[in-house]
Amino acid sequence: MLSIRDLKISFGKTQILSGIDLDLEKGECLALVGESGAGKTTLGLSIMGLARGSATGEISFQKKNLLALPEDELRQLRGREMAMVFQNVEDALDPVQRIADQIAEAITVHRCISAKNAGDMALRHLLSVGLNGEKARLYPHQLSGGEKQRVLIAMALVNDPDLLILDEPTASLDALTKADIIRLFRSAILGRICIVITHDISLAAALADKMAVLYAGRIVEMGRAESLIRDPHHPYTRGLIRSYPDMTTTKDLQGIPGRLVHGLSGCPFHGRCTQRIDICSRQIPKQRELDGRIIACHRGGIVPLLEISGLSHTFQANYVLRDVFLTLYEGETLALVGESGSGKSTLSKTIMGLHEPDRGQFILEGCSVIKRDAAFYSRVQMIFQNPKESVSHRMNVLDAVQEPLLVQRESSYEARLGRAKEVLDLVELPVDDDFLKRYPHQLSGGEVQRVAIARALALGPKLLIADEPTSALDPSVQAKILKLLMNLQEKMGLAMLFVTHDIALARKVSDRMAVMHKGRIVEEGATNEVLIHPRHPYTRRLVDCALGRYGMENAEIEMMVEPEPVVLEKYC
Amino acid sequence: MEQKREHSFWKILGKNLFPASLQSYLIALGAIFSLNFILPRLMPGDPLHAIYGDEALVAMTDEMEAQLIRQFSLDKSWWDQMLAYIMGLLQGDLGFSYYYREQVSQVILGALPWTLLLAGLALVIATAIGIILGIESGFCRGSSLDRGLVASLMFLGGFPDFFIGILLLLIFAVSLDIMPLSGATSPYAGYEGLAYMLDVLKHLALPLASMVLVQLGGIFLLTRNTMVTLLGESFILTARAKGCPESYIKYSHAGRNSLLPVTTATGMHIPHLITGALFIEIVFSYPGIGSLLNTAIAARDYPLIQGILLIVTVTVLSANYLVDLLYMRLDPRVRYAH
Ligand code: SF4
Repeated sequence: MLSIRDLKISFGKTQILSGIDLDLEKGECLALVGESGAGKTTLGLSIMGLARGSATGEISFQKKNLLALPEDELRQLRGREMAMVFQNVEDALDPVQRIADQIAEAITVHRCISAKNAGDMALRHLLSVGLNGEKARLYPHQLSGGEKQRVLIAMALVNDPDLLILDEPTASLDALTKADIIRLFRSAILGRICIVITHDISLAAALADKMAVLYAGRIVEMGRAESLIRDPHHPYTRGLIRSYPDMTTTKDLQGIPGRLVHGLSGCPFHGRCTQRIDICSRQIPKQRELDGRIIACHRGGIVPLLEISGLSHTFQANYVLRDVFLTLYEGETLALVGESGSGKSTLSKTIMGLHEPDRGQFILEGCSVIKRDAAFYSRVQMIFQNPKESVSHRMNVLDAVQEPLLVQRESSYEARLGRAKEVLDLVELPVDDDFLKRYPHQLSGGEVQRVAIARALALGPKLLIADEPTSALDPSVQAKILKLLMNLQEKMGLAMLFVTHDIALARKVSDRMAVMHKGRIVEEGATNEVLIHPRHPYTRRLVDCALGRYGMENAEIEMMVEPEPVVLEKYC
Repeated sequence: MEQKREHSFWKILGKNLFPASLQSYLIALGAIFSLNFILPRLMPGDPLHAIYGDEALVAMTDEMEAQLIRQFSLDKSWWDQMLAYIMGLLQGDLGFSYYYREQVSQVILGALPWTLLLAGLALVIATAIGIILGIESGFCRGSSLDRGLVASLMFLGGFPDFFIGILLLLIFAVSLDIMPLSGATSPYAGYEGLAYMLDVLKHLALPLASMVLVQLGGIFLLTRNTMVTLLGESFILTARAKGCPESYIKYSHAGRNSLLPVTTATGMHIPHLITGALFIEIVFSYPGIGSLLNTAIAARDYPLIQGILLIVTVTVLSANYLVDLLYMRLDPRVRYAH
């Protein structure tokens, strides 16, 4: 019914929309999300024929190309066949006219109808959105925000349009009013084509069945709304969802580094993308269909960074790791939780090559890891529970931080010093000579751990394995170190394998969670879902203990039939 | 129920006729009357001198003087004087013009209608044309129509009223000789009915035109700029999305809203309008208050001067009051302020 082909809108020299393709059937509701400036509203306005700037491409609606239609015909479609509810409820109604008259006007401009009949119709429509006749005689300033929004909805629906565009329809409403209005929208969008423009992910989830993520005038990802929110494939979508709080968000909010810039060559997101490759800045990624998702990314979305498959390890004829499959994606934090002795530390050390596994395979950035060479360690680094393990007491700060650079044969002292200062700055440590010359025993525990992190970051790794990195620290220092790790992740796109026994801690820092029990991964999934609906009895027990409920004995789990590990699909 | 509705009806009516600002008008009026009473009495010497001026007293007989002193209760206490003053005002007594040898109120009453006709019509016409041109111009900002109007009206508005008046007088009355030179009617023509009206209009045309031309610019520019801002407002977008044709958007949405600031500005402009009218009357020897004031000053007819000033202020105040009422009609946010 509505199909948009290669729609481009430019305003002066800036291209606001660059090649939008979209198809919507009657009864479908699409949420257009993205940060401000992405071009969402412009897209809505251009369908209505109200966007300023010059447009090319095709918008076909009811078998007419709207872009080629003369203004008068377009006007007759506006308000009758397609209607739009604008953001900014406060100013969207004419302040000097009664609301009933404003609605009646929407009728009279499209049909030959007597003023009285139009007035009656307006009243009926106001009633249907929950405003009685007394309210109808009022002026906009006498209504509350929610009531104004109702008026605008009534106005949009009064001619029973086929296409309804809602632009940030709940932006200025309080939570309760918003809930009412969303209920109203739910019935209003039935049987129509509907486009909801919003940056409110929860609204998108509540109304839309399809969702398109717009970035710098392009659709970077599009798919079914709930799956897109649960399992974003495009790095930008993940960033957007990470920065949006909902009631089940457990991880602290993270931003996306940098800001939106229009007119970049190549992928519009490449300036802020942490997994960009060469081609990204040269070539615009084409929209492709992948697993029922339309995605525009040269790498097909967020890439797996480390894939572990079939890993087993025995120690004195006991399984320490049993058939472990685990995938870590670019830029995410995976918490590996389990009690001591569950094998989680062994797993992390095996990844680092400190143990040789009996069986299993590692694939790092698409290449099988055969040996742990310098190239491997420049991509994967580890920090330990006890920073003394990574920072030798015989080295001062500078030596400790530049040691990995030496190993990588970075010969010039200047370059090493520069890099060392850079990473020390990243971990928020001073870089003066006095500090650089200090030895670990002259530093506090938190500082040593920071030095250890700086040392791990010196080579710019993609994966950081953190084994209980804060359990030896004071709570307040621990909080600061965790904040630091999250910031580093946001800035550098670092993926983190966060090994801990502390579920409460894991909950705050991780996107996904894998639970280990007796050398097996018994459950894996999005952190909030694992914690809210733990499926494996062992996970349930861990969660219960973390909540202070001490029900089941360890032995009880032992006696239960060993259930199959619950490995859910990513983020599920 | 019935009673309640009636009650609220009166309340609304009352609110409509007597807005809160009425109070300030009454205070202003009171202040003006008090000044008018106090000033002559504070002047050194005999208040009669102050009120009537030396020349008048020379021409005055003892008998008249005695009568005046009695009338103003000048031989009594301030309190009685004030009572006498108020009583006089209530009876429309503004004193006696010795130059015209007539009651001041009578003299003013003879001139006031002409001024009201001139200034009132100028206001109405300039506002109407200014608003319409402003709406059209603001709606297509940047077009040649817009640019032309802005340039020419700003040019005209830059001149003082009387200059345009003199210019028109020279062109149409002196050079082309198609318009009367002065006055409000042709003397001794004895026109009646329609012919009289036409004669009045013919005399009115030039002074009126010069006033309109000068007033136009301000109203036009304000309307135009308001239009430009309003067209960017969300409610205009809503109107477009409804499918309103251009003319609806131009007049019933943007245009109607642009009346609000224009009305306020017009109200503030009224004193200027009146002074403009006074000058124009002198240029065209139009027999209104302006010419009268001119004569009164030349003859040092103090009671007349004072009376005129009083009447002019009262006129300005009432005009402002009317504008306030109009604004309330136009803006429901003021009418139904919470
Ligand atoms: S990987 Fe490349 S194409 Fe994909 S989002 Fe990042 S910059 Fe864009």
